[in-house]
Amino acid sequence: MDMLANLALGLETAVSPVNLLYCFLGVFLGTFVGVIPGVGPLAAISMLFPVTFHLDPTSALIMLAGIWYGTTYGGSTAAILLNIPGATSAAVTCLDGYPMSRQGRAGVALLMTTVASFLGGSFGIIILTMFSPIIAKYALAFGPAEYFSLMVLGLVAASTISNASAIKGLSMVVLGMLVATTGMDSQSGVPRFTFGNLDLLDGLGISAMAMGLFGIGEIIASVRNVDTGSVDAKNVTFRSMIPTRDDWGRSWMPMFRSAWVGSFFGALPGTGPSIASVMAYAVEKRISRTPERFGEGAIEGVVAPETANNAADQTAFIPTLTLGIPGSATMALMLGALMVHGINPGPNLIVQQPSLFWGLIMSFWIGNLLLVILNLPLIGLWIRLLLIPYNWMYPAIIIFVCIGAYSVRYVAFDVVVVMAFGALGYILRVFALPAAPLLLGFVLGPLVEQNFRRAMVLARGDFTEILARPVSGVVLGLVALMLVWSAVSAWRRRSADLAPEEMNSRTG
Amino acid sequence: MRHVLSLATALAVIAGAAAAQDDYPSGPVTLLVPYSPGGSTDRTARALATVLEEKWGQPLVVENRPGAGSMIGTAALAQAEPDGQTLLLNTATFATAPAIQTDLPFDPREDITPITMVATSPYVVVGGAEVEAENFADFLAEAREDPMFFATAGVGSSSHFTAELLAQQAELPGDVVHFSGGGDANTQLMGGHADIYISTTASVMPYVNNGQVKALGVLGAERFELLPDVQSSGENDVEGIDINGWVGMFAPGGMDAELVETINADVNEAIRSDSFMQLLEENFVLPGDTTADEFSQIVYDEMDTWAGLAESRGISAQ
Repeated sequence: MDMLANLALGLETAVSPVNLLYCFLGVFLGTFVGVIPGVGPLAAISMLFPVTFHLDPTSALIMLAGIWYGTTYGGSTAAILLNIPGATSAAVTCLDGYPMSRQGRAGVALLMTTVASFLGGSFGIIILTMFSPIIAKYALAFGPAEYFSLMVLGLVAASTISNASAIKGLSMVVLGMLVATTGMDSQSGVPRFTFGNLDLLDGLGISAMAMGLFGIGEIIASVRNVDTGSVDAKNVTFRSMIPTRDDWGRSWMPMFRSAWVGSFFGALPGTGPSIASVMAYAVEKRISRTPERFGEGAIEGVVAPETANNAADQTAFIPTLTLGIPGSATMALMLGALMVHGINPGPNLIVQQPSLFWGLIMSFWIGNLLLVILNLPLIGLWIRLLLIPYNWMYPAIIIFVCIGAYSVRYVAFDVVVVMAFGALGYILRVFALPAAPLLLGFVLGPLVEQNFRRAMVLARGDFTEILARPVSGVVLGLVALMLVWSAVSAWRRRSADLAPEEMNSRTG
Repeated sequence: MRHVLSLATALAVIAGAAAAQDDYPSGPVTLLVPYSPGGSTDRTARALATVLEEKWGQPLVVENRPGAGSMIGTAALAQAEPDGQTLLLNTATFATAPAIQTDLPFDPREDITPITMVATSPYVVVGGAEVEAENFADFLAEAREDPMFFATAGVGSSSHFTAELLAQQAELPGDVVHFSGGGDANTQLMGGHADIYISTTASVMPYVNNGQVKALGVLGAERFELLPDVQSSGENDVEGIDINGWVGMFAPGGMDAELVETINADVNEAIRSDSFMQLLEENFVLPGDTTADEFSQIVYDEMDTWAGLAESRGISAQ
């Protein structure tokens, strides 16, 4: 069969010593930046991007991809041990990972995270291999109307994920959308909230903002509160990692479901591992028979986002490699690495560059195996990284964050943005307002607006035409159902709260 | 005595200026690219940089400064010293963006010096999945019958202005829809969500060659020599479109005339190198190779054309 020949060719490319070396380098660097809070894959890849001009395109892409999915593996370590997401895609993992750690179950959380990541990653690779052509065709049928309705679905779903009240979550989503309106309006060219500043004309950088909110904000909050001494390296022995039968029983269905959720959101341009993890968590919390355990150290709340973000990492390559649509800034950099070598991504890439395409896919298997090795036996090494006294670590992290923010666009203004959002991130923590929905609103807000306005032009101003399109109609119908459902369940909860035994169930 | 002193000063200044040209460039040269890494302008810049690096014996650093319809990178050039150590490679968007962004923090005529046109090609009109026409004549008939959607690479981009120009000159009904970049616009055509996209050969030919979109025509009086089977707008009686896409080299404003001459000659020589010509050929693009004055004339004429079009079509940011 053709597929076997392709996979053999890919394996041959991927196991060549040079490519093995770059694969290892990529996943090692990825895990490293993943563990360090505040430095994400975008910063790491943009710092290393110029190096790839001097590499063979296949090796270059294998290395960059390794950093990309390696970060997601590493990102959960700090999330579980310190309640600081090492990468934005691990933000949701904090919600239940850190409580597990407080209960002395950090080892179990770390092991299950690695298992979930490997399963998610493997599932994503299989989807990528088998369904690339089909999904590419399906994605092509998605126009502005469909993207608009999917983004609305994402935002409505997001407002129910945070542990705080739905009102707080929704307010943060809206704040994120408002902050995102800064810059030149993409449909009319009108500058909005730029105050004549040219740096603001292109809007606030997502990486600078995310680094500020999650990197600096958390560091300010952590400097006094979290001393890394609280991470007990002895606590994370191999013995402590062994999950109970109950853990396995609770985990396997969420892993299976989240692999699908993650693969779907990874393949959809504009979304990605962060949104995939958020959605998977929301789905599990919604369908769980014991949703009150979420946020209190539920193992499902750890494995679901970690399966989903790793699956999404792999399927994010589907639109990038088959259509040439980068789903995120990081993917745009990967496309750039191909294009500087004169390779045009598009449906013909698989045919014209078989050794590159299949070699990259096979390198994902090798990379994921390497990551299991890096994350299980070597977990002690990464924990030791977190054992570095925080008062030594945080200046270094801040410097990394600033370099990272600067290196994206080479604009000093972005460092100011990092600091401003760092302050905002801290203020939000003080008032117990969730930051993840803000980031989601920031990412999805402009896409909602742009696609809505494009869809309205294409519908010649008739909103009912958007409703009449099969996909967008069904999705918007789902949104309406979700809103009704949340309202009803909020009303029920309120009536239930009136029962005296529920009165003292409030948690911080 | 006073006269002698001022004469000496004047001579010293002239000598200094002359010396500056002899040893140009005096250090590493920064080539600003106001677009993302990997795009067609970025690739052109990197290919040109390789040739110039060898010629000048100095490193050429390509620096990507994307954003705001190329105006962020262009503003960075306007702020640089006019010593030739900082240059910029931009497209015709240099002439379209100021027509819509009227409050730029620099004057595109005073604060920027055009050096030379590096490459040029006509604008190609491509049609998407929902367009039945296979040539320009049928396209005009179809678009008049059933108003089409013109995809652009963004508000104020050259694809936006050329679409407005074609709609005006051919009296076509229809609406423009702004997407995020040329890749997005081409993809929307493939999916049949929008109908027409107009851009340079370099950005549409990969999609045309893959059979994902079809080339309906080129804008201009004559057909394009590298695409002899594609009809021109002129042969279909659409008059008044005399505009081509280009990539050009720019320097900061207030440059010494001799230094402009030196850089112009060096860059024009680099354009004619085998490796660069091969890249142009692969992308269906012709070499530019103009004098600085000729190029300035083209740029300033286009700025007038687009500013006038922005007014007559009511395209404005305010």
